Amino acid sequence: MSILQSPIIKISLRHLFAKKRQTIVAMLGVMFGIAVFIFQAGLMSGFQMTFIEQTVNTTANIRLYNEANKNRPSILSQIDSLKGRLLFVRNQKPKDEQPKIRNGKQIIDILEKDKNVSGVSPFLGSQAIFKMGIAQMSGRVSGVDIVKENILFNVQKNNTHGNILKLQTIPNGIILGEGLADMLGAKMGDNINVISPAGVTLEMKVVGINRSGITEVDKTRAYINLRNAQKLLRVDGSYITDINIKLKDINVAGDLAEDYNEKFGYKALDWREANANIFGIFKIQNMITYLVIISILIVSGFGIFNILMMIIYEKMPDIAILKAVGYKDRDIVKIFLTESLLIGIVGGLLGLLLGFTMQQVVGSIKMDVKGFVSMEYLRFNSSPLFFIFAYVFALIVTAIAGYIPARKASKIDAIDIIRSK
Amino acid sequence: MTTVKNIIETKNLNKFFHDPVEFQALKGVNVSVKQGEFAAIVGASGSGKSTLLYVLSTLDTDYTGNIYFDGDNLSLQSKDQLAAIRNEKIGFVFQFHYLLPEFTVLENVAMPAIKLGRYSQEQIDDLAMEKLKMLGLEDQAYKRANKLSGGQQQRVAIARALINDPKIIMGDEPTGNLDSKNSEIVFDILKELKEKYNQSILIVTHDMNFANKTDRIITLRDGEVQNQ
Repeated sequence: MSILQSPIIKISLRHLFAKKRQTIVAMLGVMFGIAVFIFQAGLMSGFQMTFIEQTVNTTANIRLYNEANKNRPSILSQIDSLKGRLLFVRNQKPKDEQPKIRNGKQIIDILEKDKNVSGVSPFLGSQAIFKMGIAQMSGRVSGVDIVKENILFNVQKNNTHGNILKLQTIPNGIILGEGLADMLGAKMGDNINVISPAGVTLEMKVVGINRSGITEVDKTRAYINLRNAQKLLRVDGSYITDINIKLKDINVAGDLAEDYNEKFGYKALDWREANANIFGIFKIQNMITYLVIISILIVSGFGIFNILMMIIYEKMPDIAILKAVGYKDRDIVKIFLTESLLIGIVGGLLGLLLGFTMQQVVGSIKMDVKGFVSMEYLRFNSSPLFFIFAYVFALIVTAIAGYIPARKASKIDAIDIIRSK
Repeated sequence: MTTVKNIIETKNLNKFFHDPVEFQALKGVNVSVKQGEFAAIVGASGSGKSTLLYVLSTLDTDYTGNIYFDGDNLSLQSKDQLAAIRNEKIGFVFQFHYLLPEFTVLENVAMPAIKLGRYSQEQIDDLAMEKLKMLGLEDQAYKRANKLSGGQQQRVAIARALINDPKIIMGDEPTGNLDSKNSEIVFDILKELKEKYNQSILIVTHDMNFANKTDRIITLRDGEVQNQ
């Protein structure tokens, strides 16, 4: 017996066709629930992926630095004979210590040989004021070896103007972030002054403009040669504050960071930890998204529940006669469960299609978003996982929404119906 | 007298209703219907005649005492087993036809046979057609059930009752909703079934005209059998 010949499916289909309008409304409920889920989850996740990519591209997988000037235990507490007593040191100042990585060159050599590492870049950062004529902006200079830096952060790819290698060939070259260049009114080839906290002023020539995509970074950052950064800070040629490390596999960053921390004695911060606050926000964002979607699907579940209850009240005599001629309780359950599942299966498929279409259409509209991150188009994560999750969840909701009335229908007492006529 | 076996037989059947007040609807009923017998249960309203039929039909399981149907003790069967017995061995005709309105006449007649699953779809369709022919309804087979007249619908219901060649046909006021002409037709059909096919039939009716034409009248009064 083919499946369409089965009386249960036949009866279910006839019921649904007899109630076309309600059936369509119930299907639309499931369809919109799923479509909205796929759209919103794809949007959220796409945004998060963009953001993670951009931050991963601008923060090192592991950043090794000297955590100087942090709170330190008072010297009194380190004296054994005073243990257990109440100690009080008022107004303790941080130790005067430069945040420098000693033996930076040797550490870099060791790291470059590490098989987990695909790139190492020394870094010297400082606050600075950029001046061009009367326009002045505060920001940060990043003193780097631009070739190594490029391996880590793809600087060249993000350059909108100029070649990064100019930083090596032109002794006083500077690459400005896009926002920073805008606000200074600086163009390629212009000369600007860079003033450091150490009181040094360098006249530098704009050899490149860079857009990382993270608005805040582009408004404040400028790349200069490591040597120039050391000049600005009046420090010697081995002075660096950070070593940035790129890994072959970013997922081992956390474990390796601990290793390096022990090995080199400097703070090693992995990218996940560095962006922990953002991942926290993402978690809450995801939770809200899922809650909204789940409530939409539950509402459509009530829709299905409703239409089935209507059908059942109307079809009481049919149920009674089916039971009288020998259909079992579970056959009756199957009839109405099939009806709700048909609504779920068809509505769900339509929803998958609509959600996918919405992603494609909205994703192809040029948006030019400039905010937290800047992107030209909205990006959607069309991962099959979302589609599968949405569909399975919709089927579960419709199955539950169908099972309750179906059970009720199977418990109808045939005699009550037949005798009350 | 030759020994004709009882198709259905009750032993000390009691039935209580608890709602709204405790009420004994059947009081120690002992009745039987023989193979090939056309019997009618009569009685005033409230006498328990319909109640008795529904207990015999296996739809109502809330009773005490024993019912033997075609050799089985019904009180020992599970709900699903009873459903299977109804499907295979009992044909029902009610006062109202209870045809499924979305289905054709043929599909309605075939419904119990599909559940039984003994034959292929084609065989079932042929069988259903055969039953419809027997009742003079072959030209209505592909119409929707709700497009037929009341008398025709009741005949379709009889065809449906016959589809699995049941051991017994049970009817609850099968002519209650019909005019005298159609009542006549339904009675003649039942009579013919008994005579031609030795079909056992048990009908509840308050129509004495109908009852008097049957083989045997079982009279119920206040839940007790007066004569049979």
